[in-house]
Amino acid sequence: MSVPVMTVPGEPPAPARTTAAVRATGLRKTYGSGETAVHALAGVDVTFAAGEFTAIMGPSGSGKSTLMHCLAGLDTATAGEVWLGDTALTSLRDDQLTTLRRQRIGFVFQSFNLLPVLDARENIVLPMQLGGLRPDPAWFDAVVARLGLRERLRHRPHELSGGQQQRVAIARALLPRPDVVFADEPTGNLDSRSGAEVLGLLRSSVKETGQTVVMVTHDPSAAAYADRVVLLADGRLAGDLADPTAESVLDALRGLGG
Amino acid sequence: MRTVVLAQLRTHAARLIASTLAVVIAVGFVVATLVLNETSRSTVLDTVGARYVDAAAVASTTLDHPFTDDDVAALADLGSVGAVAPSYETGVQASVPGRPGSQYLLVESVADAPQLRWQELSAGRLPKATGEVAVSDRARAEVGDVLSVSVYDAEGEETTAEATVTGIVDLQGDPEAGLYGRGFVTEEQAQAWGAVDPVQLRIAAGPGFSADQVRTDVAAAVPGDVVVRSGEEQAEKAAADLMGNSTALAAVLLVFGTVAVVVAGLVIANTFAVLLAQRTRELALLRCVGATARQVRRSVLGEALATGLVSSAVGVALGIGLAAGVSTLVGSNSAIPLSGVTVPLYAVLAGLGVGTVVTVLAALAPARAATKVAPLAALRPVDSAPLRSRPGLLRLVLGLLLVVPGVLLLAAGVVTASVLVALPGGVLSFLGVVLLAQRAVPPVVAAAGRLAGRFGGVPARLAAGNATRNPRRTAATATALLIGVTLTSAFVVGAASTKATAQAGLDAEFPTDVLVRSYDADLPDSLSRTLLDVDGVQRAAGVIGGDVTGPDGEPVFVQAVDPTEAATVLRSTDKVDLPSTGVAVLPEWAAESWSVQDGAPVTFAVDGRTVTLQAQVTGLEQGLLMEPDALRSLLPDAGTSELWLLLDDADPDGQVGTVDDVTDVVAEAAPEAQVTGVVTMRDQLNKVLDILLLVVTGLLGVAVVIALIGVGNTLALSVVERRQENGLLRALGLTRGQLRGLLAWEAALVAGVAAVLGVLIGGAYGLIGAASVLGELGPIVLDVPWLQVAAIVVVATLAGLLASVLPARRAARTSPVAAIAA
Ligand SMILES: Nc1ncnc2c1ncn2[C@@H]1O[C@H](COP(=O)(O)OP(=O)(O)O)[C@@H](O)[C@H]1O
Ligand SMILES: [Mg+2]
Repeated sequence: MSVPVMTVPGEPPAPARTTAAVRATGLRKTYGSGETAVHALAGVDVTFAAGEFTAIMGPSGSGKSTLMHCLAGLDTATAGEVWLGDTALTSLRDDQLTTLRRQRIGFVFQSFNLLPVLDARENIVLPMQLGGLRPDPAWFDAVVARLGLRERLRHRPHELSGGQQQRVAIARALLPRPDVVFADEPTGNLDSRSGAEVLGLLRSSVKETGQTVVMVTHDPSAAAYADRVVLLADGRLAGDLADPTAESVLDALRGLGG
Repeated sequence: MRTVVLAQLRTHAARLIASTLAVVIAVGFVVATLVLNETSRSTVLDTVGARYVDAAAVASTTLDHPFTDDDVAALADLGSVGAVAPSYETGVQASVPGRPGSQYLLVESVADAPQLRWQELSAGRLPKATGEVAVSDRARAEVGDVLSVSVYDAEGEETTAEATVTGIVDLQGDPEAGLYGRGFVTEEQAQAWGAVDPVQLRIAAGPGFSADQVRTDVAAAVPGDVVVRSGEEQAEKAAADLMGNSTALAAVLLVFGTVAVVVAGLVIANTFAVLLAQRTRELALLRCVGATARQVRRSVLGEALATGLVSSAVGVALGIGLAAGVSTLVGSNSAIPLSGVTVPLYAVLAGLGVGTVVTVLAALAPARAATKVAPLAALRPVDSAPLRSRPGLLRLVLGLLLVVPGVLLLAAGVVTASVLVALPGGVLSFLGVVLLAQRAVPPVVAAAGRLAGRFGGVPARLAAGNATRNPRRTAATATALLIGVTLTSAFVVGAASTKATAQAGLDAEFPTDVLVRSYDADLPDSLSRTLLDVDGVQRAAGVIGGDVTGPDGEPVFVQAVDPTEAATVLRSTDKVDLPSTGVAVLPEWAAESWSVQDGAPVTFAVDGRTVTLQAQVTGLEQGLLMEPDALRSLLPDAGTSELWLLLDDADPDGQVGTVDDVTDVVAEAAPEAQVTGVVTMRDQLNKVLDILLLVVTGLLGVAVVIALIGVGNTLALSVVERRQENGLLRALGLTRGQLRGLLAWEAALVAGVAAVLGVLIGGAYGLIGAASVLGELGPIVLDVPWLQVAAIVVVATLAGLLASVLPARRAARTSPVAAIAA
């Protein structure tokens, strides 16, 4: 029986293999107060290396989404710090955070990823346009080609399949060459074939262009596409797996009792 | 289900405020309109028709067959008749102590019977005996003054008498009050001052007899050519004679009332539709937990009934209050006299009925739609795909079925100048336009959106997309505003044309602002220059006159004026034919008695000197006119008989004062001369139109306000529905400001398109309405007040933006996490 490499919760995070893209220290997020307070994050220290594909896993309600929201500047933590490269997110005002999101962070969500009134192309370039930027045409073509969307650029979201919609979302996330792409259950709504396709694309973007990707998932076979798996339980880090396989991830999850 | 209805009302009280407000305002609008109509009608009757309204019957005859004392006695002897008041009228020259010169006083007799006395006194009492007189304000005398009165008999012999002023009669609201002074004396005094036999008798009922009875008895007792009307009818006729055409006035009021009801209906319907759309999911949830379709429908209708009743009642109160406010503001002292409020029962019932019925009717369609929704719809997330608009073929066909005949009727109305044809055409075509707007608005908004997207950046492009996502809702929202804007601009354009036409009509009728006229002595030559020095007098033209011998050998009074000089003084030459060189303008009576054809030569002579001119026969009511040179060749010393003055328009309010100043100057220089200031009458009528325009525009503005509540509602609904989407946008980097901008763009697009379309359609209606209403009266002058029209577009669009503020603030608070936390 292979024993997963686990860190003891509360200990300093494992040293980064390369430079850190995103780093959180002492991250806490509490909903409500007093007796009904929910500690969605109860002190998390974690580092995500640049050019690495990391999966965040854990039982339902363990705080995966909350962690991602805080790391991505979508939500503000109750305590602790988040660093994107050299920028401390916790010190930014809403407008600065917004600008940072559109310039340095890409998002892929589980569902409702695209704006229904815009076609695929417009959705892809939206974040850059919001910042008044023009995408580099060569890079745009490269991304679109890699994601196989060339024929679909004029389609509206409701004219695309679920897998195609997620590919458009990935293209949108990759286009500004963000410091990090966050994906929250990107395959949650897809059949297994489309899911595999999407994961493969995320994987290859890390491999071929050195894109940093952090993905939340509850699916061990999805996590197996990642370079590393971070395990969460009850708002705390509960383990860290390098080069995961579906089996090793399952074992680790069972170890959490989840 | 009653518990559900009540619970709905309780929990959604806040949300219902919007629809309640719409119903309240709309009903208030209808009621205020009806009440103001009734109030102004009764006030006009009270002032202009004051002398008639209390009479049971009024008998009128012609000057050729006046009533004799025997006629009066015979009528007074009738069993049902209580009293008969013959009206003796005459004119005198009167001078007030301390004031130079004399003035013309129109004198009429005061009824002996107290129930037929209509005069309101602001001071003193009515005359009781010969030698006493009550006068109007315009006479500028005080109680106790002793007037010196000159009366001229048929031979031109002057007799002078004295009369003590016993009272001041308040003629407030009578548009003719400012024209000249009025005197009120006993019947004997009036006769002594030269009043001929009366042509009108006012008759009061005896105790216990009805007005109808009196009328029937009187009609039976008088010869057939005597017209007998009820007091009310006579009052209305007097008001109509004064205000011009009574059918036109009634038609305008009719148009106004119809418009009010139609707007109210459409606006309430629209607001309720938007409101129920917000609740589709909620209603579906009710179905989910086991409510039958009928129960859901009944619950919605019950809610509508309760809302409609309560808010209609509030609206009725608001409307009456509003009318009372307007009435107090405007007052009975103004040109459009309003005193107190006259609340007709039908106004209250119409308000309650329209509000409740329309609210319930408006709820019917959404209630049916709600019950058609599958219960599961409640649980489905909001569809993210754009809603495809169904073809709405029915709407298109129905719209065309209304618009085509409506437009034909409108055209017929314009051509035949008949408002009674144009009005139904207007209603039909407008309903059709409203139906078609539902189809036409979304593509126009989309086109405008593409345009806006060019320079408005991403938020504008997104807004354009959003605005056309739910075409039905966008159309409903825009239509509400379109209705308000259409009607407002129709009224503004229509009123401008009415005013221009009325102005032209008045100018033609009374081309001189002030007329100084002397019958006996010539006016002093210096008077013209002295008058030009009076503040506010701009130009003067002198008319010389004198007796010459006509072609039939009889003396005839001829006047002469320099046509170029006259043209600069007269406001209009439509009703005056000015002479040109070598021409004599002959009124028809002269042409007939001399048997002179148009274009034929006509010769005048004085002491052997003759002048032969070419006759220009005119159908207009005017005197004999020729050029000054022609008259001077006969009468080298012909003196000035009239002066025509043009007043400065820069200070319209000062014009009445100028007339007073002119009166004083003339009285000093030429005591015999008479000054008629028609400008005061024009001033009064202008004020009537201005106030009417202000009041109506204000009321229609209310329709626009209601429509804007609708815009706000729709946006609020969008914000709720697009929570996730807005969250996604925020996550992807849309700043709060940009998100607010997006909502603002959406509002501006919808409001702007509605405003532009509304102004175009409304402008057309205004012109058509003016043409059909005024066409009956005479030549039409169409006028488009471009500035006001532009202001309507700008204000409606800005107001749309304003309506987006609250929903936008709410949207800006959307957390980016909303996108993920579905
Ligand atoms: N807005 C919120 N208000 C209150 N509690 C919340 C909120 N969001 C998340 N939580 C709680 O925080 C905990 C972590 O939630 P989440 O991060 O969504 O978990 P996961 O994504 O791992 O399923 C859960 O117990 C959840 O109930
Ligand atoms: Mg989650």
